[in-house]
Amino acid sequence: MRIKAYLSIFRMRLKQELQYRGAMIGGICCQAFFGLILVALYRALYAGHPQTVPLEATVSYVWLQQAFFRMLGATDNDLADRIRTGDIAYDLARPLNLYGYYYSRVMAQKLTGSLMRAAPMLVFAALLPKGWGISAPASLPALIAGIAALMLGLVVSSAIENLTVGFTMRTLDPRGIQAMLNLLMMILSGSILPLTLFPDAWQRVIALMPHTQMLDAPIRLYTGQRSLSELLQIIGLQIFWAAALLGLGLLLWSRNRKRLTVQGG
Amino acid sequence: MSYIEVENLTKSFTVRKKREKGHLLREKTTVQALKGISLQIEKGDLIGYIGPNGAGKSTTVKILSGILTPDGGRVSVDGRVPWLERKKHVRHIGVVFGQRSQLWWDVPILDSYCLLKDIYRLTDADWKTRLDELTEKLDLGSLLRTPLRQLSLGQRMRAELCGSLLHRPELLFLDEPTIGLDAVSKLALRDFLKEENRKNGTTVLLTTHDMEDVAALCRRVTVIGHGSKLYDGTLNELLARYDTKRTVTARYDGEVSLESLPESCSMSRDGEDWRIVYEPAKVPTPELLSRLQSVGSIRELTAQPQNIDHMIAAMYREMDL
Repeated sequence: MRIKAYLSIFRMRLKQELQYRGAMIGGICCQAFFGLILVALYRALYAGHPQTVPLEATVSYVWLQQAFFRMLGATDNDLADRIRTGDIAYDLARPLNLYGYYYSRVMAQKLTGSLMRAAPMLVFAALLPKGWGISAPASLPALIAGIAALMLGLVVSSAIENLTVGFTMRTLDPRGIQAMLNLLMMILSGSILPLTLFPDAWQRVIALMPHTQMLDAPIRLYTGQRSLSELLQIIGLQIFWAAALLGLGLLLWSRNRKRLTVQGG
Repeated sequence: MSYIEVENLTKSFTVRKKREKGHLLREKTTVQALKGISLQIEKGDLIGYIGPNGAGKSTTVKILSGILTPDGGRVSVDGRVPWLERKKHVRHIGVVFGQRSQLWWDVPILDSYCLLKDIYRLTDADWKTRLDELTEKLDLGSLLRTPLRQLSLGQRMRAELCGSLLHRPELLFLDEPTIGLDAVSKLALRDFLKEENRKNGTTVLLTTHDMEDVAALCRRVTVIGHGSKLYDGTLNELLARYDTKRTVTARYDGEVSLESLPESCSMSRDGEDWRIVYEPAKVPTPELLSRLQSVGSIRELTAQPQNIDHMIAAMYREMDL
């Protein structure tokens, strides 16, 4: 199997990501700041009007969301640049499936991007006093289930980002499609407004979308807001979306193949 | 059947241009990049593929290497149709695009080579032997642990070439590999390519604007322009066809008048130097020399070497490119 090649590309992308340590530290500081502000906001909200969800769970939710923020959005311009400048010519001269080649790169970038930020952020959040910092998971199985769901979420979000790369092959500019999908992502994943604040009927639809399964569901498994009995349902939905989005991506890419032009001579 | 067979290859691109008036509307035009090219290349050939900018050279290379799909025509490379069997095809070929990079910008080049090992599924032993051989010949030993971005252009091109040859391709496409290189790097690169072709029987198709590259490397040249093939044969024959004029520079003791030279010669004066351009077919060189001697006493006489670039420019002009 060629799997070794794709793993090797994955490793390479990790190495490349490690070259930009300054950007990483900057990102951590920025997200820690956002985290603190959001926690303060929720604390004020809770002080005025006690909520059904315990404060500790909400604060944990905020920190986990900040830590894995990079996993969600389509932010990798590396591949878009390869298409824009025509360096894609070299990628097509390799005995690999181009979709798989780029998918490995997207996933590696998302995984390193979030893991390298998440580790120090979560240490920081764990050191904060109770009510400000992150709490321990609901149980050990809850932690394991959360991590498993998070990994499947990564598969789904990488498939969405690879779709934006596929569109870039047609439009030559990633910004439009990225902005559109990222906005959808921010809203439907609850990053802008907590999902519980949407009308009930909306929530039922939103819960079926791929976006809620990427980060929201894994975090709720961790905090215990979603019980382990729901795990099968979550994972089933994730697998469905992963298959659908990967299939759509492969279809788009194979169509692109025939009409591809290499930019820049 | 030849190793590479190309028959009546066509390819067009859509180009969008802004209209002269207004800012929103664009005009679509179709540019015919290849208008029915036919080629035959034998195994082990080292072919120069030349033509002015925009002639369709790179497009041909990209079709032959399976990157682009042509509009029409037939191509067979060792029995394979490149764009239909891309993955199988590219395993056997190597490509170097002089103005692009295949190695990873931020990581040491050795890491890029390791990745290529996995992509081409080479065994560790095979990869190691080949890498040692290439690093020695291309003088890369001390650079292996340096990130690509910190290499000079010449070092980078050698590193790129090494990357393209690790999997021992039997066919190598070089698209302007000497662009921007200094004299030493160019000569080293040429020697290396010659040896690679001779020792391993690698078939090489080289596109370039550097005619010295072609003269040093290629037994055969193909000239294309405006998407059509204009010439296919040896470089010497091509030059003989366009190399009709010679130039000599003469410096005399004292004033002389060169009015007695035949009309087919043209003369110009630069300080003490007389520059005489003549056609050996009309005025044989010995005759010209004796005439030059008869008008005065020559202090210095220089014959200009043939300038391939001038000849090629004359050829492009004549072919209306």
